[in-house]
Amino acid sequence: MTAMLTEQQFDRIFSNHSPTRDSLIPILQDVQDTMEYLSPEALEAVARYLNLSENDVYGVATFYAQFRFHPPGRHRLKVCLGTACHVRGSGLILEGVSRRLGVVPGETTEDGSFTLERVACFGSCALAPVVVLDDKVYGRMTTRKTQKIIEDTE
Amino acid sequence: MGTISLTIDGQGVEVQEGKTILQASREAGIVIPTICDHKDLNPYGACRMCVVEIEGVRGFPTSCTTPASDGMVVKTQSAELTTLRNRTLELMLSGHPNSCLVCVHREACEKYRPGATKAGRATRCGFCSNREECSLREMALRAGENELGLPTLYSAHNVERSDPFMDRDYNLCILCGRCWRICEKIHGKPAISIINRGKWARLGTAFHKSHVFSGCTFCGSCIDICPTGTLTDRFARWYGKPDDRNLSACTLCAEGCSLFALTKSRRLVATRMTSFQWEASLCALGRFALAQIVNAPERLIRPAVQEGEDQIPCDWDTALELAASELPRFTESLAIVVSESTTREDRFLYARLAERLGASLIVVPSSRNGVEKELQGFTADLEKGRFRAVISGGDFLSAELLKGLNFSVVIDCLPSSGARGAKVVLPAAVLSEVEGTWRNVSGEVKELPAVSLPPGQARPEWQIICQLAQKMGLEGFEFKSAREVTSLVGSDPAPRPFDGEPRRGLRQLPSRFRGHLAADWVRPLEAFGMPSTPLEEMTESSKEGFEILERREVVPNMYFIKIMAPQVAKFAKPGQFVILMARETSERSPFTLVDWNGAEGTISLIIEEVGRSSRELISLPVGARVAHVSGPLGMPLPMEKKGTVVLGGGCYGIGAIYPIARGLREAGNHVIVVIEASSSYLLFMEDELKTVSDELIIATKDGSRGTRGGVQEVFVNLVQRGVDVAMFVAVGCTFMMRMAAEATKPLGIPTLVALNPIMVDGTGMCGACRVSIEGRTRFACVDGPFFDAHGVDWDELFSRRSAYSREEIEAMPQMVDLNALIHPHGSGGGCGSSCSHR
Repeated sequence: MTAMLTEQQFDRIFSNHSPTRDSLIPILQDVQDTMEYLSPEALEAVARYLNLSENDVYGVATFYAQFRFHPPGRHRLKVCLGTACHVRGSGLILEGVSRRLGVVPGETTEDGSFTLERVACFGSCALAPVVVLDDKVYGRMTTRKTQKIIEDTE
Repeated sequence: MGTISLTIDGQGVEVQEGKTILQASREAGIVIPTICDHKDLNPYGACRMCVVEIEGVRGFPTSCTTPASDGMVVKTQSAELTTLRNRTLELMLSGHPNSCLVCVHREACEKYRPGATKAGRATRCGFCSNREECSLREMALRAGENELGLPTLYSAHNVERSDPFMDRDYNLCILCGRCWRICEKIHGKPAISIINRGKWARLGTAFHKSHVFSGCTFCGSCIDICPTGTLTDRFARWYGKPDDRNLSACTLCAEGCSLFALTKSRRLVATRMTSFQWEASLCALGRFALAQIVNAPERLIRPAVQEGEDQIPCDWDTALELAASELPRFTESLAIVVSESTTREDRFLYARLAERLGASLIVVPSSRNGVEKELQGFTADLEKGRFRAVISGGDFLSAELLKGLNFSVVIDCLPSSGARGAKVVLPAAVLSEVEGTWRNVSGEVKELPAVSLPPGQARPEWQIICQLAQKMGLEGFEFKSAREVTSLVGSDPAPRPFDGEPRRGLRQLPSRFRGHLAADWVRPLEAFGMPSTPLEEMTESSKEGFEILERREVVPNMYFIKIMAPQVAKFAKPGQFVILMARETSERSPFTLVDWNGAEGTISLIIEEVGRSSRELISLPVGARVAHVSGPLGMPLPMEKKGTVVLGGGCYGIGAIYPIARGLREAGNHVIVVIEASSSYLLFMEDELKTVSDELIIATKDGSRGTRGGVQEVFVNLVQRGVDVAMFVAVGCTFMMRMAAEATKPLGIPTLVALNPIMVDGTGMCGACRVSIEGRTRFACVDGPFFDAHGVDWDELFSRRSAYSREEIEAMPQMVDLNALIHPHGSGGGCGSSCSHR
């Protein structure tokens, strides 16, 4: 994981977008696709390209749930907190996992193995509560079952 | 552009096309309430207070963002609109400390406590430095609703105090966006932005960087435009609302920007830009440093003459006569060095004096880092012996150079190492204290009114020169005011251009004022990398003192602190107190013992952050040592069996009544404990108090829990309920105790209060804690702290407690902990990686 893209990577991203404010979100998406998260240095470069304030860029980026500001771990654990999952107790799952991993949603464990995320609906409400590890969907979850898949993955 | 006509509240209004409904209403003299709107900002529509009804339009559009159109029929007042606005206001208030707005004791409180308490977090209006100027408060009081339908949510952000010059308490922020909008308007790229989303939305910088690295130029516009107490000027905030505002100019560099000098009781409390435009903006020095230089506690206040190795303070006549008798002997070997920051009148008179005496005049311009360069030629001349005497209007020459001369006079406002070598030192009034005019680099002549009083015996330079010249028998110095000189100045040259753009960057500020390093007198400037003379390190042994074993903020502003103090713990009794000194140089301040453990040798205290000394104490981390703990002090409260006793505690008093409750219950009393706080989130120690009482009753000023009101309301209820109260003990702030005393007096119930006057030694020597009880003078430290509440002269106590309020404000820390500033590149990456793509 790098904290910065190379000049070539930036040039490639920037060449697809005009240096106007409208390009901000598409550029941020491209940057995140390339480096998997948005680092302070990357935001600085984007702000410079668009001639915007870095604070402004950060303000926009933090408004959207899709952007990350920490490098993701090797595995991404998403806990659904949509309505169906919520009423079936996914809040407790998230809390339990959060305690188990020692991170709050949005953060990555110190050893870099897991990133915990909260998500608002996968569209698999029949399986509520839902947990998604990397790309595999686990339905009818409990805190204990979630702990188990974490242990198996580790 | 044509005009259009519309009807607002039945009144025909004609306005220019393109105006909004809000603008049209204002032109017609119709008032619509607003918060996020500001005349210097574009419409934003965030606060929703300016909603109106428009005939034929569904819903309630915001008048600030809706353009007026021809034939429109607008209603700005209706029952529905009032309800809507009040609900909007309630929503804003639910996220903004509001207990004072709905408190039943507000009027009495404001009468007895006119000034704001210098608390860390503003958890209510009484703790807010912006109370007198808060738009939200004004609006809420005007709406007159004394009950809120929504719970108070305190967001508990830490107060941001690690940047120079500003304190930011985002717990008060209502997200009106005025701050970032004005920042964007003035600077193009805002140094702050709304970050995060939903209930986590707040104002901030990218990755929470320090403002020093976020592109902020410290122009202060965000502070000046904030409608709440969220953003404040750390130096000015506690002085309260300024009582006068005058147009003046900054003379710290050749730019000579216009500014407003804000004064309170003829003291300069702040300087501000004259309008919210880039052209009118100020640099960090003009906005923040000017008032701090003028108010520097180190200012020279008395003339002094050298005797032997020492400089002895003397009166003006003695000093002037000595200078007048010596100076005429030198003529051509005399040099006069003055700063370009002095007024044109001052410099004119310096020049006239130089001419009459045949002396040389050297005018030193302001510069970013090269004042020494300007003086190089002159100091070389001095070293060569070209001059034998000097009049220096600042810190331009070293003590060695001055000592090497036959005679020297320093006319200056601040002490300097150089002035220590001078034969005569004369204290000068400067900046906002001096009347005159000033020409800036573009040739504009600006008026400088004298708006603040000089400290001590300091006098303006024009006056000093005139008096000196007259004592020398020179003619042409018979001026009664600087104004008489102005017309003689004529076409003086503009100052030399400044070698930087101070308003564009923190690294381009003038580093010196009259030869002094500005950062020596305004230490926060060090955070911008400005040069300064290192402070002498305080050598304090970490082995001595009393170790802090535990420290936590139990509720906002209230800190539980456990200290190792075996001797105190061994002898402590309920009702006694200790006096602490955070450091060797700190003030002594008393705190009631909350708990102690003789076996462990520990004592526990609740310390409320309400000013300098308490802040020093609560800032000490676990493991650090408090320099001094003396105690136990005061007369313990007798633990006798009385029957039913009621104990009332407010704020820090909630902790203080704990040992009293325990003791009285052990003595066989039926103990009812009543605790009050302004809102439910400020209550603490409930579980502990339950274990030492038979009944625990809660009161909150905003009614968010328990009885609405204070301890006194609960007490009166108890008596009405038929509880036979043998004794009432109240511990809390003076206001709370007075209110309690007033409530119990007509009931004839014995009431004791723990008085909290200013205290110094705590052993009955100094007399600072003098209180009057039934006309007799008593010392709260040895005769108290408990006294019969009905015999207390409360007015005297209030006035004695506020005797040093100005000094207490002056003592508030202005320094910045440089280590707390976040590194410009954040935690990850570092410089190498961030530069790789450039």
